[in-house]
Amino acid sequence: MFALLGLLFGALVAIAVHPTVSQELGRYVAMAVVAALDASLGGVRAYLEHTFNDRIFVVAFAANAIVAIALVWIGDQLGVDLVTAIVVVFGVRIFQNVAALRRRVFGG
Amino acid sequence: MPRKTSPALVLVLALLGFGIVTAAQSATETRKAEQPRKERLIALIQQRRSQIGDLDKAVGELRGQLGDEQRRVSRANRSVADNTRQQQTLAAQAGTSAVKGAGVRVKVSDADTIPDDATEAEAYRISDLDLQLLVNALWGAGAEAIAVNGNRVVATTSIRQAGETIVVNFRPLSPPYRLDAIGADSTRFANSDIARRMRHWHTLFGLGFSTQRVDKLIAPAFAGRVGIDVASPKDEGP
Repeated sequence: MFALLGLLFGALVAIAVHPTVSQELGRYVAMAVVAALDASLGGVRAYLEHTFNDRIFVVAFAANAIVAIALVWIGDQLGVDLVTAIVVVFGVRIFQNVAALRRRVFGG
Repeated sequence: MPRKTSPALVLVLALLGFGIVTAAQSATETRKAEQPRKERLIALIQQRRSQIGDLDKAVGELRGQLGDEQRRVSRANRSVADNTRQQQTLAAQAGTSAVKGAGVRVKVSDADTIPDDATEAEAYRISDLDLQLLVNALWGAGAEAIAVNGNRVVATTSIRQAGETIVVNFRPLSPPYRLDAIGADSTRFANSDIARRMRHWHTLFGLGFSTQRVDKLIAPAFAGRVGIDVASPKDEGP
């Protein structure tokens, strides 16, 4: 419950502070969010499967975000659009996690 | 499953919420920032077009002044007078002076409804080739001077297509297209191949096509540089 309040609190802080991100950095933030979203869904899945562990979740969350940002950066250096790669990979994983959640919640 | 929520978890999720909102806000701002750029481009294009129009007008005025000065000088000197007369004849033939007179006005336009299919849509639009053939048919019908939407057709004029836009003398045209041909014979034009084909396409595809005799037509002077080094007037045929 506190965790969800934390999510809400973070969103409210962002609305209140209204941080400005340059167009270049905006892509990094967006990719980090996609990666973090995947980690969060993985966390919810683990929670429902009773294998949730705080430390693993936090580490997975940070690692996902950092790897995503690093990939975008490397892509920029090489002149290759790795953003697409990140979106595809994490997109697929998000769908897999959602499918696993659905099976767990609704059965079948 | 009661479990103590760790502060790290709360912090991480707060970070996630912060990140989501920040990314969404920056994406919206980027989109908003791109909007005025498009409007600026449109304004720039319109500004440059009106600049071209002003410069064209200035060229016309200066050419007119030059002609006046030459006439003034020629009154004093006989050999200059001969030169000036020859120059005026050449200017009329080259298209660098405006021509007035009776002739034929041909109007063509795209069909009102154009199908979505790209290959089919071609038949419903006026292409650069159609205009080229129409201009040639008007020359064939005895035209002395032709202007397409006010752009004088001279020896170096190109009628080309850039995407869906037809460009004459490197100036983009917007449909409908109006071809003013001074000195052209409407019956001879009506009997030309392209006129016959256009009438057929008019009934088949709904392309706009109309021909009318007009007593007072004006073909404006060609405003560009005539890039011909050597040219001599063609002898009048029998």
